[in-house]
This record gives sequence, C-alpha cells and structure tokens, in this order.
Amino acid sequence: MPAVISQTKCTGCGLCDLFCPIDVIHMEGDVAIMRYPDECWHCGACRLHCSKGAVTFEFPASMAGI
Amino acid sequence: MITPEIIEIKTDVAVIGGGTAGLNCAMAAAESDCDVLVVEKANIVRSGAIAGGIDHFMAYMENGEDWDSREAYLGYVARVAKGASNLKIHEKVYCDELPAAIERIESLGISLRDPRYPNSQDFFRTQSMGQPGPYWINFDGKKLKPRMAREVNRRGCRVLNRVQVTNIFLHDGELAGFTGFDIRTGDFYLIHAKTIIISTGNTNRMFRTQNGNPFNLWYCPANTGDLHRAAYDAGVELANMEYVRMTIVTKGFSTPGFNAFFGMGCKLVNSLGESFTKNYHPMGDKAPRNVMVWGALQEIKEGRGPIYMDARHLSTEDLDHLFKTLGTDKDTLPDYLAAKGYLKDGAMIEMTVSEPMQARPSELCGAGIKIDENCASNVPGIYAAGDAADQMGCLHMCTAGGFAAGKAAAAYAGTVTKHHPVDMTAVRDERERVFKPLGRNSGLHYSEFENVVRIITSDHFGPIKTELSLNAALEKLDGIDGERNNLRATNLHELMRCHESSNIHQVAKIMAHAALVRKESRFAPYHYRADYLETDDDNYCGLIGISKGADGQAQTRFEPLEYPI
Repeated sequence: MPAVISQTKCTGCGLCDLFCPIDVIHMEGDVAIMRYPDECWHCGACRLHCSKGAVTFEFPASMAGI
Repeated sequence: MITPEIIEIKTDVAVIGGGTAGLNCAMAAAESDCDVLVVEKANIVRSGAIAGGIDHFMAYMENGEDWDSREAYLGYVARVAKGASNLKIHEKVYCDELPAAIERIESLGISLRDPRYPNSQDFFRTQSMGQPGPYWINFDGKKLKPRMAREVNRRGCRVLNRVQVTNIFLHDGELAGFTGFDIRTGDFYLIHAKTIIISTGNTNRMFRTQNGNPFNLWYCPANTGDLHRAAYDAGVELANMEYVRMTIVTKGFSTPGFNAFFGMGCKLVNSLGESFTKNYHPMGDKAPRNVMVWGALQEIKEGRGPIYMDARHLSTEDLDHLFKTLGTDKDTLPDYLAAKGYLKDGAMIEMTVSEPMQARPSELCGAGIKIDENCASNVPGIYAAGDAADQMGCLHMCTAGGFAAGKAAAAYAGTVTKHHPVDMTAVRDERERVFKPLGRNSGLHYSEFENVVRIITSDHFGPIKTELSLNAALEKLDGIDGERNNLRATNLHELMRCHESSNIHQVAKIMAHAALVRKESRFAPYHYRADYLETDDDNYCGLIGISKGADGQAQTRFEPLEYPI
C-alpha cells in the first residue's frame, strides 16, 4: 500500500481527494479512500494537506523489499 | 455510453496544463487585457512535476566570477546541450527573463535563500551536471506550487480543474478551439480560444520501470503526452522527440534527488566500492546527467553492480541537510530511506538507473512542440512552454520561459479580432470517440494495453536502438492500433487512463520515427544507436523536426543548430 488513509482520523475535509495529482484518492461518503493504490505516485500531496495526520505511507515489498 | 451536452466556453488565451510552466504562462497573459483560462487534468494547487515540492533552481547570477556570467552560462549550454538547444531561443526565453523570474518566485513568499539557516539573505548554490560553477540555487520549494496557483487566481484567471483535453481544432489552418472532458462528472467542453499555450510536460509510463509498477516514476505519471499527440494530429511540428531520458534513482523508488546527492558531494560507487564516474567524464560525479547514467549502465552491465550513493564522507551538518532537501524535492523519499533502514551516519544508499521516458536530453532544452523565439509553433495560435516544448524544461526554464510564452501568446491574441469557427460536426464526432470506451463490453483494459506498449518500447528503444529494432518497434506499435481503438472503461477514471494510454502509444511511434532519422549517437544513452555509435556533428548537430504529413505518415526534416567554437 502507498498512501494509507486512517478511516478513524479522517474527518472528510476532502483536500487529499481535491489535490491528488493522479486522481487515486476519492471521497466515499464522509471519508477519503485510496481507491487506486497501484497508481499512487507517492508525491505526498495528500499528506501535506491533511491537518489531521490521517495519511501515512507504507512501501510495499516491491519497493522497499528490493 | 454517455452523450453529455457540449458546454462551450470562450476565452482569449487558454493555457493547457497548469504545472510550473502553465501557471507562469497564465500569470504573464493576465498582465494583458486578455481573458485567461487554465485547463488542468488534476488541480493546479498540486499538479505536474513539482506537485509535491522542488528544491533546485538553475541560475547564473552575475556576481563577478568568470563562470557566473550570461556568456559563461551560454558556453555551458553550448557544451552540454549541443545539437538540442537553440541558443537564440534560449537567450530569449530564459536569459532575458531570468532576473524577473527570480523576483517573481520570491514575490510569492517563497524564499530562494539558504534553506539551512532561518532568515538567511544568502543563496546556497551547488554544482552538478557539468556546470562550470555552482549554478543550482538550493531552496525550499515545498509551497511553490500552491503559491503560484494562488497568484494565478489572484490575477483573475479562470481555472478548469480535472479536465482532460482530448483534441485541437483548426479553421483554415489556424487555431479555433479544443475539446476536453471532466474526469469526475463527464461534462464535455468545447473551448473557443484565440490562442493556446501547451504546457503539459513530457510523456511518462512509456517504458518498463525498475519494480514493474508503471506509476513508480521519477517524473509525474499523469503527464502522458496528451497534447504532444493532439498537437501532432493538428499539424504541429515536434522536435527532440528521439531522446529517451533517464537518471540515477534510489533502488526500489524512482524519485528526484540527483542534484541534491551530487550537489552535496556524494559519490557514486560500484559494488567493489570504487568511485567510477571519473572513468567516464573528467568532472566525475559532477558530470552531465546523461554521462552519469551511461557510466552506471556500463558498471552494471560489466558486472560491477549494484551501484551505491556513498555519503559517508559528508559532515553531519551536510548529511542532515541532504536528507532534508531530498524530502523537499520528493516528500516521501525520507520515509522510504527510513523504511529501508538507511541511517544518516555512514549512508551507502543502493541506487539504480531509472525508467526511461520521453523527455529532453538535457536540463537546458526541451522535447516536444517545436517553438520559435516567441514560443510559437508552426500553427498560428498554438504556442508551447515548459517540458512540452522543444526548447524549455526544468524549473528554471519553465518559470522564466513560461512567462515569456504567456506574454507572446497574449500579444498574439490581441491581434486576433474574433474567434475562428469550430466545425461542430467534428466536435460531435470527437465526443463520440472520447466516450466510446465507456460503452464497450469487451476490449482491453488500459493497463493491459499500456503494458504491451511498454514491452515493445523497452525491448526496442529503451534506450538502445538500431534501424532494425526501431522498424520492428514501429511494426509492432502499428500492429496494436486495433486494440487501442477498442479500449474498455468502466468509469470516468478509467476513461481518462484509456486516453492517456492511447496517447502514450502514439507518442511512442513519433519517438521511434524520429530516432530512425538520427543516424548517429548523441547524449548517450539518451539517443544511442548501436548501428551508429559516434556523434556526427557534421551531419546531425541540430533538430529533427517531425510532423504529420498530408498522407497521415510521419515526415521529418533536419534543422541545423550553430554554436560558437
């Protein structure tokens, strides 16, 4: 998983969805969902705009493991 | 299939692509009396190559040192971008605009001063990439993109976010308008414009990546040559399209960072622990990027890989700053380095050669729409800026040259008394073409199609190529035209990806055609012809212009470039 959005910390402000340059984060109801994890660029824009600290990055084995 | 109504908008100047170059275009055009509209596939606050931040800006600063003059800088351009950079255009779009560009960035509240010390008034300048002196200004550009976006809004420009542009329409050979769709709502737009500036970056996702994920890229994976393809189809001439650009990246994670590592004094070593870059260029780790990549490829090929970034000799203060500025350039790189277990002390970071991409062979030129000294293409009304143009690229030129393009395009729009008509039958046909993948029950998913393209390009010209390999690539790429015209999407996000994949495929063909014509090697490995190993300045010191002929086939011409001896 790339950007991981905590469903408990997310307050649904929508900024990560709004500013994701790759269109991989979408709002679903009141929370933001990483809908296309394989397409994440890991640019960090979502985390930069999250005032709740709901976004963290986890690097899959195909990245950190090689 | 959906058939939305056609929403029509009129503007004087339309900027397509709201990255660094596009936003500087918009700022400049807004200083005229023109209406300015920015059309962006994502959101201008965080889009394009510097979406997550940037940490270097190249400049000479006339501070009295021999290397720090305009003349010395142009000598550097002539040395390291020979055959790709047109010095006359370079002077006009970069040198003439540089002082104002620096002032403009700082006027946005982004300090270009030494990022290591709060309130410093000094510049922190570093050297790499064959520069004769430290031309890189190292700064904290984490907020540069949002500040530029705010300024574009403040200057009264209209912005259409989340709209993917699909095609350009001419009237009697001059620009009339373009179409696009909203990637979230499906709204379909026809924009009537007196002039457009294309600033959509380079083409990514075209070659295999180091870990198999096509989105794990050094450059922005949303930049997929959408307007290279549309402009080409509209009769616009492109240049520098034969070059396949690569860099040195961390193993497992392709990101920017080259300048930061080498500017701070890191050394690239092979698996014997030997510093090897001096074997390939007298400037060693401060050699031009393509030479560093060439050297790394040879070390790996000859069995001395993996390669490592040796930072063990750096002072604690320099190491601290290195890791901080790496995070300014790529927000998540420090997280990755931590996840990999690299400690700041004694770091030997495993590196590799990045994925190839369609882009400029040097920081001192571009690759794409062929522009003149006014940033104009061969089609009246169509201008270009930034990485999408053949003579611009990198933050410094996108900032300075974007502004130059905006001024020139606005001046042109001022001479156009009324908008040219757009053929509405053609627009309705375009709408049908655009939304067709949503109505299909069969056909390839974009990811499968794109993978096929990547296998072909990587095997045949990624980056090494011959006449045979290029012709075979073209045959294979032509052979999947049917699949391209039969892609399937289940939602608007996938529809966007279908069009991106389709554009990547068509730009790949343009690249292969251009590479066939350049029967020499230049900027190896960016254009490395195994059947023509030497650089041939007598016959190829210049641009390969490529455009779509009346018969639909690619046609090329050679334009020589001259450099002072």
